[in-house]
Amino acid sequence: MAKVLGAFEQAVLLAVLRLGNEAYGRAISREVQIRLERQIASGAVHATLVRLERKGLLTSHLGPGTVVRAGRPRRYYTLDPAGHRALEAARTAVDTLWRGFEVPAEGRT
Amino acid sequence: MTDITPPRWADRILRLLLEPQHRESFSGDLLEEYRESIHPARGRRRAQRWYVRQVGALAWRQNRVWGLLLGASFVGRTAVDWLMPTTQFQVRSMVLTALSVAILLGAGFWAVRRSKSLGAGALGGLATVVVAGLVDAVGAMLLLALSHDPQTLDAIRQSGGLGEVFALPWLVAGPGIAFASLGGVAGRAAAGSAPSRR
Repeated sequence: MAKVLGAFEQAVLLAVLRLGNEAYGRAISREVQIRLERQIASGAVHATLVRLERKGLLTSHLGPGTVVRAGRPRRYYTLDPAGHRALEAARTAVDTLWRGFEVPAEGRT
Repeated sequence: MTDITPPRWADRILRLLLEPQHRESFSGDLLEEYRESIHPARGRRRAQRWYVRQVGALAWRQNRVWGLLLGASFVGRTAVDWLMPTTQFQVRSMVLTALSVAILLGAGFWAVRRSKSLGAGALGGLATVVVAGLVDAVGAMLLLALSHDPQTLDAIRQSGGLGEVFALPWLVAGPGIAFASLGGVAGRAAAGSAPSRR
């Protein structure tokens, strides 16, 4: 069985999936922060993107720069088939852990 | 908008930390966020602090293993000197020196291998020494809190005193950066012979 993705890796992959054609570094970082509801250093998202690309779960290509970026290009990320499979495996692993177990929505009183 | 710029020195350090294929795109991401979100919301001074923190976080992320290793070596030496007193420090000094040199060579090697930039070696050495200095200070204080009987206090005096424990990592900063730079030269050669990534 392949190693299951960590929670942060899942958050980054899901952000790439959600953003579609607009999945570049800053947008991914913002999306991850919104979903996880906490401040995250841009370097942490960057390091995770690099790692996921090395694992073969993502591919990237450079897009044109903009004036606000001083002409520096954006790097756009796309999920590879292996990335989709890894996300499905992560979800299945969590579903398996929770199967047959219910937690009351507002906790026990 | 384009005249809003983060501290130039921090931008230079950022570029030294990054792999060539990510240098422009990641620094562009940070610049875009700095100009569009952080600077308008927080003002110049706080925005500059934010930028420096982002660069610092990246430097920590990339050098923490080496820094923690070097710091642990210093704390280990301190513990041995305090808990196993001796008057012959030569072997202990040689072991710590060899270990420190190996760690700093490694820090410089990996920093330059990653970024393909020779300056990254010295920067990796500096970051490693800073992390090690902090680990050493915390470790020594914890040791002192755990063991402060008269025998240990005497051993501390015999081994150079508390001042030396806290100062040592900072005293070796210069040679440390030099060794990391040397490791960086080897890293540059290794990077040149390794297959390149996109």
